[in-house]
Amino acid sequence: MQPFFDWLDDRTNYRAARRHLLDEPLPPGTGWWFVTGSILLFLLGVQLLTGVVLTMYYVPSSAMAYDSVRFIMTQLTFGRVIRGLHFFGASFIVIASVVHMLRVVIFGSYKKPREVTWITGVLLLLIILGFALSGYLLPWDQRAYWATTVTINIARSTPIVGEQVAGLLRGGANLGALTLLRWYAAHVFLLPAALIAFTVAHIYLMRRHGISGPIVPKAGASRPFYPAQALRDSIVVSVVFAALLTFAVTVRAPLDAIADPSDARYIPRPEWYFLSLFQLLKYFPGKLEPVATMVIPGIVVALLFLLPFIDRTKGRRPSQRWIVMMAFCGGLLGIAGLTALGLRDTPRTEDVNRWAPLSMAGYEFARDARCQACHQVGGAADPVDETIARRDPDWLVAHVRDPQMIAPDLRPVPSGAMTEGQGRSIVAYMRRVRAGASPPVMTANQAAIAVYGRYCSTCHALDGEGATVGPDLSHVGAKHDAMWFREWITDPTAVQFDATMPPFGDRLNDEQMTAIVNYLAARK
Amino acid sequence: MTQGPTERRRFLAAAVNSIQALIGGTLAVLLGGAVVGPSFLRRRETWLKAGSLDALTDDEPMPVTIRVSRQDGFTQTVERQVVFLVKSGERVTALSSTCTHLGCRVSWDSEAKQLKCPCHGGVYDRTGAVIAGPPPAPLAPLTTRVDGDQVFIQA
Repeated sequence: MQPFFDWLDDRTNYRAARRHLLDEPLPPGTGWWFVTGSILLFLLGVQLLTGVVLTMYYVPSSAMAYDSVRFIMTQLTFGRVIRGLHFFGASFIVIASVVHMLRVVIFGSYKKPREVTWITGVLLLLIILGFALSGYLLPWDQRAYWATTVTINIARSTPIVGEQVAGLLRGGANLGALTLLRWYAAHVFLLPAALIAFTVAHIYLMRRHGISGPIVPKAGASRPFYPAQALRDSIVVSVVFAALLTFAVTVRAPLDAIADPSDARYIPRPEWYFLSLFQLLKYFPGKLEPVATMVIPGIVVALLFLLPFIDRTKGRRPSQRWIVMMAFCGGLLGIAGLTALGLRDTPRTEDVNRWAPLSMAGYEFARDARCQACHQVGGAADPVDETIARRDPDWLVAHVRDPQMIAPDLRPVPSGAMTEGQGRSIVAYMRRVRAGASPPVMTANQAAIAVYGRYCSTCHALDGEGATVGPDLSHVGAKHDAMWFREWITDPTAVQFDATMPPFGDRLNDEQMTAIVNYLAARK
Repeated sequence: MTQGPTERRRFLAAAVNSIQALIGGTLAVLLGGAVVGPSFLRRRETWLKAGSLDALTDDEPMPVTIRVSRQDGFTQTVERQVVFLVKSGERVTALSSTCTHLGCRVSWDSEAKQLKCPCHGGVYDRTGAVIAGPPPAPLAPLTTRVDGDQVFIQA
């Protein structure tokens, strides 16, 4: 092989390039503190590689995005781990960026002649945050949709040009397919191009001025980067990678139910690294909102950019730059405090396997012989459990109530069809199927759940599912007992003359009535 | 005996290379697995109802259309396949209707008692064996099962 490499070197001069890369002279005393940049470079490389593989399976369309991410999570070889590396990698990068920035600030490395290196670093931090923001929308689940709604509304609060900025971010009249496409384009084309350009510039400038070295320069000859410092870098990078891989393997990257623009009950929340901004917003309501969304973050970013020009002190010792140190400590403590407050208010993630009565009822109703006439292996349609419901809820309800009728509202529902409640139950069940839920474990309350799904769910919610026309029944047992429920359900006007709820005494048989009143009375 | 600088350098270089090979290898396995994995997924086959036994005439291939629903990555696709059911006494076999030459659809010529391809003149007998023309192989058989009055095909 030697003659081949000699020939290659003669034609390309690669050995000199390799030497230039590895024999970077480092000031004496350079040690473990100077590995932070390499950690970032490595993590960005992991994001790039995992991102390329994810794009092989991801579809940037509002109709397909969610199912393609679910495919990656459940069907693709190592897909769950790769998405985990990409998802948790984003958090690791944010932490590594802050650590790297802190190292630079504490060591005073931003000072002359490295001002431009620092500025490219701040730009890289903003690009990284741009990645985090644009990547959040791509799975097209509830978190993605509602967090992006908030982001766009924040942009809308910009004075004077707010509407225009929001329109640019949305790409259309509403948050939808066009928004997803432009955020995808930003995430996989624009931002990576900017990231690579500024990373190259940052490293070029780092090499041009050399690394800053210890705060108090040590006497002695400079040492090459390879192999001693390269080993320090490799050891720390391997520890970081082991931690990231452990996260990716053991913790499932979240994927909520598919985005539902009509679900007003969903409480949006951003990823933890934007939580401080989200929390800040709570203290500046109404017209003051731009203070939290524009003024404070704008001042922080401007101060970061200008730091090398504001801090004109001669020395690099932290004690000589106590104002800078205090400002950074104060800023970080503020961000940490706001993040902690935000975390305290964050609602728990919805678990699709924690079945609510409405979808449990739907699971039972979908076993109806009329459904299975078509929905069977080799039948006219796929089995219900394997069907991905891509139609809107109203179409599905109409279809379930009269499977032969494909166009809803064009003719009356025939007698003997399923009720509206049953239709909604099946839609709720199909939604869980699409979100990857395992079949529910049916309980002794099956009869009551069926009554609830068939009749009550048209007006009342239970455990977060069902209509909200009437009161929520989740804890209704704390107010009334079984006897009261029996009287009320039989004929509400007998209990309260102006009650609007219809009587069910003639629609429920004894067994159904007993089941539902006992069930509701037990819901404390 | 003390180690010389060259030996120390060689040891450090070996350590750097080993760590990087380990990280690179792990990433290569994970990412390579995800790129290559789906290429080798096998199609999931199910038993599909193809028709009733009463409708079949002995030694007379009957075309039936079956609806095959498949998982296609993250989506589902439905293929409609035409299959010939052939009854010979108690035995029922099924033949693909796709000509093995260039993939045209063959049809049953009840007068000549032959399966003929309209494209390049491929001719098969009722068992799917090639009688004439360019087809390089017999028509592909499909696994069948008779359950009561119903014929099922694995597809």
